[in-house]
Amino acid sequence: MITTEVTFDELAALMKQAAGITVDPEELKDAAESPFDSFGLDSLGLLGIVGELENRYGASLPPDSERCRTPREFLDLVNSTLKAGA
Amino acid sequence: MSKRRSGRAAVTGIGVVAPNGLSTDAYWKSVSEGLGVLDLITREGCGHLPLRVAGEVRSFDPAALVEDRFLVQTDRFSHFAMAAAALALDDAGLGGEPADPYSVGVVTAAGSGGGEFGQRELQKLWGQGSKFVGPYQSIAWFYAASTGQISIRGGLKGPCGVVASDEAGGLDSLAHAARAVRRGTDVMVVGAAEAPLAPYSMVCQLGYPELSTLDDPDRAYRPFTEKACGFVPAEGGALLVVEDEEQARERGVPVRGVVAGHAATFTGTSRWAESREGLAHAITGALDEAGAAPEEIDVVFADALGVPEADRAEALAIADALGAHGTRVPVTAPKTGFGRAYCGAPVLDTVAALLAMEHGLVPPTPNVFDVCHDIDLVTSHARPAELRTALVLSRGLMGSNAALVVRRGDDSAR
Amino acid sequence: MTRRVAVTGIGVVAPGGIGATAFWDLLAAGRTATRGITLFDPAGLRSRIAAECDFDPFEHGLDADLCQHADRYIQFAVVAAREAVRQSGLDTGSLDPWRTAVSLGSAVGGTTRLEHDYVLVSESGRRWDVDHTKADPKLHLAFTPSTLASTVAEQFGARGPVQTVSTGCTSGLDAVGYAFHTVAEGRADVCIAGASDSPISPITMACFDAIKATSPNNDDPEHASRPFDARRDGFVMGEGAAVLVLEDYEHARARGADILCEISGYATYGNAYHMTGLTSEGLEMARAIDSTLDQARLDPTRIDYVNAHGSGTRQNDRHETAAVKRSLGAHAYETPMSSIKSMVGHSLGAIGAIEVVACVLALRHQVVPPTANYETPDPECDLDYVPRTARPRKLEHVLSVGSGFGGFQSAVLLSGAGGRTR
Repeated sequence: MITTEVTFDELAALMKQAAGITVDPEELKDAAESPFDSFGLDSLGLLGIVGELENRYGASLPPDSERCRTPREFLDLVNSTLKAGA
Repeated sequence: MSKRRSGRAAVTGIGVVAPNGLSTDAYWKSVSEGLGVLDLITREGCGHLPLRVAGEVRSFDPAALVEDRFLVQTDRFSHFAMAAAALALDDAGLGGEPADPYSVGVVTAAGSGGGEFGQRELQKLWGQGSKFVGPYQSIAWFYAASTGQISIRGGLKGPCGVVASDEAGGLDSLAHAARAVRRGTDVMVVGAAEAPLAPYSMVCQLGYPELSTLDDPDRAYRPFTEKACGFVPAEGGALLVVEDEEQARERGVPVRGVVAGHAATFTGTSRWAESREGLAHAITGALDEAGAAPEEIDVVFADALGVPEADRAEALAIADALGAHGTRVPVTAPKTGFGRAYCGAPVLDTVAALLAMEHGLVPPTPNVFDVCHDIDLVTSHARPAELRTALVLSRGLMGSNAALVVRRGDDSAR
Repeated sequence: MTRRVAVTGIGVVAPGGIGATAFWDLLAAGRTATRGITLFDPAGLRSRIAAECDFDPFEHGLDADLCQHADRYIQFAVVAAREAVRQSGLDTGSLDPWRTAVSLGSAVGGTTRLEHDYVLVSESGRRWDVDHTKADPKLHLAFTPSTLASTVAEQFGARGPVQTVSTGCTSGLDAVGYAFHTVAEGRADVCIAGASDSPISPITMACFDAIKATSPNNDDPEHASRPFDARRDGFVMGEGAAVLVLEDYEHARARGADILCEISGYATYGNAYHMTGLTSEGLEMARAIDSTLDQARLDPTRIDYVNAHGSGTRQNDRHETAAVKRSLGAHAYETPMSSIKSMVGHSLGAIGAIEVVACVLALRHQVVPPTANYETPDPECDLDYVPRTARPRKLEHVLSVGSGFGGFQSAVLLSGAGGRTR
């Protein structure tokens, strides 16, 4: 099993792919405590990202994942889940 | 309400996304010159199907007109509709958030929905599994997608509606908007845009007995001739801004026309001979509502299905409803140059009618020669004429008939 | 100048009750018709429960062509329309066909059939360039949504305006609303109005799975639809149809018809907020309610019952509670408000019409149907939701409200026959 970690780069790419939001990964990292809606990401967009990650890593993310308010909160939850799964 | 109201529904904005033009000006130039843009279908995965010719909207760049976050969550039919709505609102001088969001509503007609998006998600479901279906399938495929997204994108909270009817629904939506204005809504964004040229959507259309399957773009769609062999489908459409005429004058914007009368009837699916009576009824009803005498009609934009029995019924209906005037009034069907975009078709015809009145020019019917019915069909070249009142006709493949009377707007719009 | 609009007939095909009598028995008893999905194998889905109709088209006298070729949602609509027209006592042979209209709603139309044939032509999702030779030659009837209104119009020889309405989950309310306008404004004397959907299919279940809108309570399907309850966890998919005969009041009176009630107002607004999201304030739905009250010149305190959208999603029930409080003020706390989706599920476009028919029956019986499965109060939903047991009550004016994907917020106001003063 590969130990994986979803990075800000990957999250930025997913925001583009799943929600049509263009955000620079560095900016996302710098503003990691800002709410997702300040980037223009809505609940459906986050659900799409969760679904994409679940399919990509073959793991279930906790139901709370789509309720995360900020990129930091989201990545912490996703990465701790993936680590626990590995 | 203290606002002054005329009770008349004025058209103050036009937005077109059509196979023969991605702006109102480009569309009119092509229509008035009688250009034909029908061609072999090039969209991916369609080349092997026995439907060869269509009116494709090419070189449409959705990203230039609609934000990415809307594009990922919508089908091509909504891309067209959102782009056309924005063009229409800008044309009416109503770009930007409205001061009173409840004063602006949206109604669209939809006959084919988000088929390409739906096919992609069906492919994920059946090819990979249910967990691969994305969150936007629930809002992209259904017929209400365009109305909802136009409302959200523009901040428009007025009455919102969707008529998911056959082709005639395009005219019904205009009547729906005109009535909403009469009931007190200031402005309605209204019309239809369709995107039925995706592989599975095309398979779904193959059963229509009225479909032309000829592979020669110049010969595939020739209504009112002995060579008529069905209709050619198209994508695209138009959205209009309709508002109270008095209010438009107070805003100081040109009135491009007035939606004066409408009526709709139903005479059964594919029973085209019976559509004669239904269409004549609809014409009479629309004239009544407009308070117009048959002789006042200066031009007729025909449904022009291209099925011999249907063409005959339409020619006879025009004569039945307009009397002797029916054989003298110029009749035209510019859509033979670019196809029938289902619910979008009669809206594009309405746009052509408004522009014909503005320009004093009846556009011709491309590819059509040797008319075999007793109507004065304008062919080959546009015909100059003083046009004050136009009649737009539409029939749907499921049996609806509709007629719309539009009056010329201000001279200042010309 | 508008005319009064009477309801002279109703028909319904609902889970757990086909026909108005069986449907009302279910509602009055507070029974639920939600269960594990049997219409297809739901293995792998997050939500594997639904409220299904036990419906055999051959039992309802449909002709062979409709039984064999028509989509399930079309069959539902025809059966419901026949019941409604029969009850109205209209002699369709002597009606003026040009003054007879049809207005029917559906959110997803022929989707179930479209998916069925898609699987064949795509070799189960393997091909983008689908093989047309494997498709049903009548597939266009599933593709075009107007098959619904056209098929019903053909049944009764209607030649007036025939329209199909598709505003997502408010399709049923809006189809009744458009019919109300059609009759009130004089474009027809009779309008066959309602809605139908049969969305219990893999693609529709999967698309709501993807947004976690449906209940995952697969172990206890009978109690899975829990509108307004603190433990609610999403809606339960349903299917069905309901049809009403709307008629010019004077036309109905002149022929001595039994007038069941009147439609006294209709309004719809967009929330311009989000395709699926709802605010916690409910401003736009409140506006729709206010508008119907204005049309009927009715004080909010005259509302005796609110038939809620009550889908059982967290945001909907909060939104709707706020909207009703905004419109009815303190009177909201004295007004029973229930959701029949607790019993018959959420049949997308059809449910609005089914709920209007429930309101007609509530007025006839002077009984408020309950919200089944309601047990645990939610501080954000603090109105009287008529828990579990139907309640006799004097009913004169009742509201049916709905929200739909796309931001649609609609309200229909019904008034008991003879109860309306002008």
